[in-house]
Amino acid sequence: MFNKTLSLKSFKSTAIVLSMVAFMIVLMAFKVQHNTTSDYLDLSEIKKKDSVASIAAFEKVYSVLMHPRCMNCHPDGDVPLQGDESRIHNMLPQRGPDGKGILTMKCANCHGAVGVPGDATPPGNPHWHLPPADMKMIFQGRSARELALQLVNPEMNGHKSMEELRLHAEDTLVKSGWNMGGDRELPPLSYQEFTKAWYEWIDTGAYAPSK
Amino acid sequence: MPLYEIHVNGETKQVDVDSDTPVLWVLRDNLRLLGTKYGCGIAHCGACTIHLDGDAVRSCAYPISAVGNKKVTTIEGLSKDGNHPVQKAWLEHDVPQCGYCQAGQIMTASSLLAQNSTPSDEEIRRAMNGNICRCATYTRINRAIRTASKDM
Amino acid sequence: MAKVKTHVNRRSFLKLSAAGSTGLLIQFSWFSSLAKENPNLEAAYELNGFIQIHTDGIVTIASPNPEIGQNVKTSMPMIVAEELDVNWENVRVVQAPLNTAIFTRQLAGGSRSISQSWDALRMAGATARHMLVKAAAKGWNVPIAEIEVSKGIISHKITGNSTGFGKMAEAASKLEIPEEIDVKNIKDFKIIRHSKYNVDGPDIVTGKAVFGLDVYSENMVFASILHPPAFGMKLKSYDASEALAMKGINDVFTIQTYPEDFVRGPFDTSAFPELIVITGDSTWRIMKAKKKINVEWIPIESHTIKVKGFRNPKAKEQTIPSGMEETSSQYISMIKKSKEKAKEVRKDGDPEKAFSEAVKVIERTYTAPYLAHSPLEPLNFYANVTDDKAELIGPIQTPEYMEKSVAKRLGMTLEQIDIQMTRIGGGFGRKLYGHYLVEAALISQKIKKPVKLIYTREDDMTFGAYRPIYHAYYRAGLDADNNLIAFHVKAGGIPESPLYANRFPAGTVDNYIAEEWAIESNITTAAFRAPRSNFMGAVEQAFLDEVAELAGKDPIEFRLELFEKAIKNPVGDKNDYDPKRYAGVLKLIRDKAKWGTSKQGLSRGVAAYFCHDSYVANVVDLRMENDKPVIEKVYCATDCGIVVNPIAASNMVEGGSVDGIGHALYSMLTINKGRPEQNNFHDYHLIRNNDAPWDVETYFVDSDVHPTGLGEPPFAPAIGALTNALYKATSKRYYHQPFMIDIEEKYLRNNENV
Repeated sequence: MFNKTLSLKSFKSTAIVLSMVAFMIVLMAFKVQHNTTSDYLDLSEIKKKDSVASIAAFEKVYSVLMHPRCMNCHPDGDVPLQGDESRIHNMLPQRGPDGKGILTMKCANCHGAVGVPGDATPPGNPHWHLPPADMKMIFQGRSARELALQLVNPEMNGHKSMEELRLHAEDTLVKSGWNMGGDRELPPLSYQEFTKAWYEWIDTGAYAPSK
Repeated sequence: MPLYEIHVNGETKQVDVDSDTPVLWVLRDNLRLLGTKYGCGIAHCGACTIHLDGDAVRSCAYPISAVGNKKVTTIEGLSKDGNHPVQKAWLEHDVPQCGYCQAGQIMTASSLLAQNSTPSDEEIRRAMNGNICRCATYTRINRAIRTASKDM
Repeated sequence: MAKVKTHVNRRSFLKLSAAGSTGLLIQFSWFSSLAKENPNLEAAYELNGFIQIHTDGIVTIASPNPEIGQNVKTSMPMIVAEELDVNWENVRVVQAPLNTAIFTRQLAGGSRSISQSWDALRMAGATARHMLVKAAAKGWNVPIAEIEVSKGIISHKITGNSTGFGKMAEAASKLEIPEEIDVKNIKDFKIIRHSKYNVDGPDIVTGKAVFGLDVYSENMVFASILHPPAFGMKLKSYDASEALAMKGINDVFTIQTYPEDFVRGPFDTSAFPELIVITGDSTWRIMKAKKKINVEWIPIESHTIKVKGFRNPKAKEQTIPSGMEETSSQYISMIKKSKEKAKEVRKDGDPEKAFSEAVKVIERTYTAPYLAHSPLEPLNFYANVTDDKAELIGPIQTPEYMEKSVAKRLGMTLEQIDIQMTRIGGGFGRKLYGHYLVEAALISQKIKKPVKLIYTREDDMTFGAYRPIYHAYYRAGLDADNNLIAFHVKAGGIPESPLYANRFPAGTVDNYIAEEWAIESNITTAAFRAPRSNFMGAVEQAFLDEVAELAGKDPIEFRLELFEKAIKNPVGDKNDYDPKRYAGVLKLIRDKAKWGTSKQGLSRGVAAYFCHDSYVANVVDLRMENDKPVIEKVYCATDCGIVVNPIAASNMVEGGSVDGIGHALYSMLTINKGRPEQNNFHDYHLIRNNDAPWDVETYFVDSDVHPTGLGEPPFAPAIGALTNALYKATSKRYYHQPFMIDIEEKYLRNNENV
């Protein structure tokens, strides 16, 4: 009974991933025409599909994405979260249309290109922001399955191709999750462990867990 | 030790400080611009608010190394004779009690009105939510902003 | 016209005259006369002031008390200017320094700056006016009675003579100071009762106003301290080699602020009498380097210290228990202690018999947590101590008390100590306790250089001297006709009881009992805006709301019935309030808030309280949004006697109400293994603009009673009205502050039966 349910669900997720892959092939084909130096994902890589390995890798990825260092800027609402307990961000800054805050409450007003050392000083980053209002990329409250599906969906991931999604792990804002200073709790994996799991998840087919 | 050039209130100053020194302490300890106050050191109270290219920045958590060519305006440079509409409205409503947070409040309010000269009451409350007034003069702060808004 | 005895200190007057060369200087010392008339007067509220009249007619009025945001720097000189009959436009105000040879008793606290100096300030103005008039009469050879004074102009109608104050200043300065002086009829006030803008307003809005943290001098050294991270701990040893190797760091050493055998004054509270000090060339460098000092802290032993009381100058031994406390166990100890036999403070009638006969009995328990005062300007002081002088500049509510402590600690005479008061960037009681002034002086004495001592916000918040943690149990009994026939209050706290046994509803109930208890602690506490009242006023008013509901009565009508009884037939003779004035503010708020009507979607609550000799009633209108109150309006009716400066008085009531509401909703300091768990504004929640009431409407009772307190009275009743409005909005009664934290779930539910 248990096995049956599981296989049914993994069939469903496989189907979704397959359709995604199909979609991206079209997308990439289009892009390649304009981009001769493209280092887009080798299709042979995607073909090394391995749902077990992919889902196992995503569980690791999920533990990082749902950690306050990542989730706090992917809130279910228009105010970021703050601190190890992911409370609503003090002083209630708002997302704003571009995710960079509004008026006197722009992210960069407190989060400078670099921060000032201290236990509770605002971490710095030249591009500190939330996802924009038209694509909120909410992590908070998402199950592993929901989050995986959301991440691979260009309509929900910031119009990122799989390769762009893959490269997003190298974004300085993502990296700053491991470099916020003070006594903030670090994500459960090191940055290297995280990127390894992230690439593995994508490279083995970006499967979504059943739950 | 690095030497930084900082553009403050229309003048260019050179300061010899550690690269992680918050702008607040450069203003106070090096330039003796004392209107900008220390309240928390973690950008949570707003007493240290200055304008960086017009934005209401918390100088206590903003290192000198991140300022670059941006223009710094402090309460001393907000207006020539204290006649900025926000300053005038602050006097008209007799806003201050202890007065310690008010420079920061005025810097935030003036940045708000420069970007949106007719904010709604809710926009005012949200825009001013980063500035703590321990004497709790919030009602007067908001009234003064509404008055200044008519004068912008 | 009323006569006021002047009792001018002639010696001081001569001293000041010699110092000032440009005009008439008048020095007053009225404490002796006030003390004679009011034997119960607190010694702490004595103060002095002086007037300087310049030859060009400009009048400089020195404001004697520390300005902490309560507006005394404007309102005290207004009182002097009123009696002097000077044009307010020609008045310049300066902050008087502390100088016990000339001035005495300068203090900001107890909401008594105005009330205790009312006569004296009037006398100051009236005396100077009289001398100017006398000088003119002599010069023009006309009778004094024919001379008129208006807005700084002295004139004689019949001869057509007319001149400004400045021209008569020199002649006036040579005259004898009258021993008795007439003051104005209250009806003739032209400055008092008329709004005057804050004299420091223009400086504040341009960043020029000088607070303690703004005192800089040449060759000044920056200093910061390290204190034990937990109450119940002290220094064992430290290694500062890493910090000392950092750029700009001068030195790391220890100081003993209060050695164990030091007899402490009433404001020498400090849980951490031994500190590590770091000095350097800039604020930022010492802040960075102090984190690199490796320290070993060890538990303290239980011990005693000697402390002089505020009311009783004889030193008493105070026990400091050992151990590291916990918020959770403190709630358990309070619950336990509240069930034990307590000290009976007042009893009227036979309460137990009345309770047994009551048809309805209601009992409720309330608590409130530690609060950190968190003035926005953290503790700091400037000190320049040389072999023969100590120059101390900064924010201090108790300069004269600290002058004595610091002189004793430095081994200097009072004459060698020069304390100057800056504007104070908020105090709320915290800056009554001037250990930081003594620390700055000791550092300067040791390094033989001027020094500016700065507490970081974290130092300020974790150093202690908090509002105590409180607990109150109430019980009320109603008869078959819903009359209140029995009332019981039993209140305590760590480390003090908040009880005021003779406050309302004492005096209105035939059978009344008030009891108190306290639990020792090594966590230091301090007066916090409206000490004890900040809790008792709030919870008493919440309880009475429930009693009124149980009696089926409107909450205002219910209270007015009780006041009616206290007016006609009071129980006991120690009741500390005036029921007529109390009822007066309730009637005023009923009228102004249109009590009995309701606004769409808003729930309202009412409360009234008396403290610091004033009466405040509030109505709060709110609605709930996402489990948080949106407070659309607060109405306040205040009776503080004569309102000296209406625009500032209203500001004080607006701020005081919002301050009370903010603390009751959000603020709490907790302790874990002796450590304060919050250390800055990211985890210690103060009310912010978006959560503050949208509007506060203030009304004052028109009164000729001499002015009473204003800084503190608005705090507690606003909480009471908030609590009662929250009930109307949520059908849930709120018993444990802060209301936005589930104290019951976190600390109480599992401990109810201890």
